[in-house]
Amino acid sequence: MGKAEGRCAYAEARHVESREEALSVRAGEVDDFNTTEAEGIGVRVRVGGGWGFAATRDVSAAGAEAALAAALAIAEAQPAGPATPLTPVAPASGHWSSPHEVDPFDVSLEDKLGLLFAAEAAMRADGGDARIVRSLATLRAWRERKAFASTEGAACTQELVASGAGIGAWASDGTELQVRSYPLAHGGLFAAAGWEHVLALDLTAHAPRVAAEAIELLTAPECPEGVTTIVLDGEQLALQIHESVGHALELDRILLGEASYAGTSWVGADDIGTARFGSEHMTITADATQPGLLGSFGWDDEGVPAGRYALVEAGLLRATLSNRESAAAIGLDRSGGCARADGFARQPIVRMTNVSIEPGGAGSLEDLIADTDEGVYLETNKSWSIDDRRLQFQFGTEIGREIRGGQLGRLYRNASYAGIGPRFWGSLDAVCGPEEWRAWGLTNCGKGEPGQVMSVSHGAAPARFRDVQVGVA
Amino acid sequence: MAESALELAERALGHTSGDAQATVTHERSLLSRFARSRPTQATQVDDTSVSILRVHDGHTGSADTNDLSDEGLRNVAARADAGARAAAAAAGGRGEYPDLPQPGPPRAHHGYDAATAALDPAVAGEALRVAFAACAERGLEAFGVWTAGDVETAIATSAGVRVRDEVTDAYMKVIARDDRGRSGWGSDAAVAAGAIDPAAIAARAVGKVWTEEPTDLPPGRYRVVLEPEAVGELLDFLGYLAFNGLVHAEGRGALVGRLGQRVAAPSISLSDSPRFPRTLPRAFDLEGVPKAPLPLIQDGVAHRVVHDTRSAARAGGGARTTGHATAPGGAGLGPHPTNLVLIGGGAVDEAELAAPIERGLYVTRFWYVNIVHEKQTLLTGMTRDGTFLIEDGRITRPVRDVRFTDSVLRILEATEALTATPRLVTEADFYGRRFATGVVCPALRAHDFRITGATVAA
Repeated sequence: MGKAEGRCAYAEARHVESREEALSVRAGEVDDFNTTEAEGIGVRVRVGGGWGFAATRDVSAAGAEAALAAALAIAEAQPAGPATPLTPVAPASGHWSSPHEVDPFDVSLEDKLGLLFAAEAAMRADGGDARIVRSLATLRAWRERKAFASTEGAACTQELVASGAGIGAWASDGTELQVRSYPLAHGGLFAAAGWEHVLALDLTAHAPRVAAEAIELLTAPECPEGVTTIVLDGEQLALQIHESVGHALELDRILLGEASYAGTSWVGADDIGTARFGSEHMTITADATQPGLLGSFGWDDEGVPAGRYALVEAGLLRATLSNRESAAAIGLDRSGGCARADGFARQPIVRMTNVSIEPGGAGSLEDLIADTDEGVYLETNKSWSIDDRRLQFQFGTEIGREIRGGQLGRLYRNASYAGIGPRFWGSLDAVCGPEEWRAWGLTNCGKGEPGQVMSVSHGAAPARFRDVQVGVA
Repeated sequence: MAESALELAERALGHTSGDAQATVTHERSLLSRFARSRPTQATQVDDTSVSILRVHDGHTGSADTNDLSDEGLRNVAARADAGARAAAAAAGGRGEYPDLPQPGPPRAHHGYDAATAALDPAVAGEALRVAFAACAERGLEAFGVWTAGDVETAIATSAGVRVRDEVTDAYMKVIARDDRGRSGWGSDAAVAAGAIDPAAIAARAVGKVWTEEPTDLPPGRYRVVLEPEAVGELLDFLGYLAFNGLVHAEGRGALVGRLGQRVAAPSISLSDSPRFPRTLPRAFDLEGVPKAPLPLIQDGVAHRVVHDTRSAARAGGGARTTGHATAPGGAGLGPHPTNLVLIGGGAVDEAELAAPIERGLYVTRFWYVNIVHEKQTLLTGMTRDGTFLIEDGRITRPVRDVRFTDSVLRILEATEALTATPRLVTEADFYGRRFATGVVCPALRAHDFRITGATVAA
């Protein structure tokens, strides 16, 4: 950073060293085995009101200086903009690491493959059903070591270890195709944890049910169209929070900084502290301090310490997700600590930390179903889409189940529901209790240009919404 | 003298044993982003990675690194080898992956432009100034990106493949927006940055911002005119849902049992054509197999699916790779047609397409499209940045963005007419390593386009 002094208003450098391992097993064979190691430096500078960022794999002093020069050059080549402030931050110092019991990279390939082979085979037990056209067991683990320094004196290091796994079965009778997954779709359930997390998923125990439900879906009736009560399982609620609350409350979107790609938000900066987002049952927090969750860290990628704060309290909008620039733009005196970057070759942008709904008082899922006369229970996300202001959404789930007289009834296939964000959240009338609350780690959140993929966890418990349009797809 | 990408691939291959492929990818790219007519983020990337694919007894293991030292290359080769051997041991028998592809002559293409490869940030800066000025003239703000890239790929394999390719791409998009949130879109992509006209792109975007308050369109089925941006997105999804040889081989594809049958209107002829005018060409796929044109739908009849080595092996029956691998050894999601071309029709422009529509919808582009049902090619998504009502053959007023839920194959079956001149359209979102692809397609008119919802005023 010494080389940047006097050449720009601010500069920061991140050295990132990452390792990832991905394995999958299909039909008794390894379908995919890949390990990736990458190391590099990303240098970001602020010249006037503009930013420049350059990334290189050359981690030598000369490489870092060349990246600095490149970042300065591209910042200076842009049209001049007004200089805008950054919120102040005490220089980050120290080391943070995520907790884990067993480093997944210390586990042998044989053990990992053994677990996946057993789980995948269990979906084809007793010779298998010919209608199962694809059965897949997947596992992924990664480690990221980061060092951050800035011209404001920050110097800190962090290490994150994460892992996860899942299974999926696809069934077809030649014309219809259905899929069932566990613990969730999109590659499995991930956490900032080690091999112990993978073992706890107990994939093999769930495999026969997953395959059987995929087969059962082939002949299940279509989810009927109409307006009814829905109960979302925790995983689908996690994605609902992600898409219609988390993204809607990213301050860069609210300030139109992401209009070119991810979009804007129906929320305005003036709404903070005044607007109603949902019912009194809706309390949502952003928390980067929770151990084991993928959106946790010691400091964000601008060196802002991790924090926990309410985004929505009893339905009222309290805060947004911000970085130093966007927070300063609306007059806040501190960043929300949400600047995160995907590897060394991308610059930090506003991302979610762990955005979670607080548990409610509806007891267990069984209690909630028993308290519901009529409706549809929806489980495991299959399809998702929302407009560029994070208002109109449409989700599909792998399964639906009829609720009648406080009990779960027949299975529905091709279940879907749609709504408008704040109206939908306004119809929330029950959230299950702490015994049902768990963190759902997602690894496929895309944002930014060039594109960045980020991992984040959402804590959620099953919840009930009234008067929702279902069967729309 | 600096080591070339092919020399690096050969050095990496030298650290392997048995059947193996070394793939080198060197990306240099520049992306300038802007919002509210101000530059917001500018990103320059310079990175080289080496990927080793090891094949052992029909099982594969792959490993990537950007440590180009001999120690780094030894390490990555060892990791790939360990993976392939572990896979073989776990399976207890020969795997389905056949031998590595044999060498074939890569063909020359028009996909490289030296001036673009210079990645001059001043060109980006000037493009932004032009867009800002064009929007300011109408009292609008500009949002978007300008980007250019130069990607070199080299492959060396134990089967004797030695190939090298270098491609450039450039892209600009402008969203013009007024203070009430009404927005319009313009974009263009090309091999050469010099072919990108920021003023023309900005003018298109500005022209789509109408001052009238948008009207609401209730759910239902409408005749629709889709601009090339919208058509291209649907076709790219179709590439996965219908033409992916792995999905097809596993019985999950939309064309299972339908090859040789009519699946679209007779005016639909779709191919994967890596050297078609305006496309973003490539000499070979990521298994080093030469790219070649492949008809997918001709005169409405489905003909082929695409393969990489892995999917061809799974398909059996003598299927062979068609040069559509998107990863060494074939990607887990299967092969993909990266140079889709939909042949144009007879309409001069979109206005001619709209002319016979009494009441219908005009769509500039889609947003957040996702799969609802794979086998039915059923998608859902929103319209964005220029959605209009067509009345009595003319675009009359803006429409509040709507949600569609419809099948791509049904839309192609319901296609009534296409414009004559296809355009290159691309998402250009560049997650991970830059791999520029696009669809060359015209605008089209179709009937019974299914609208299932709409957004609301905030």
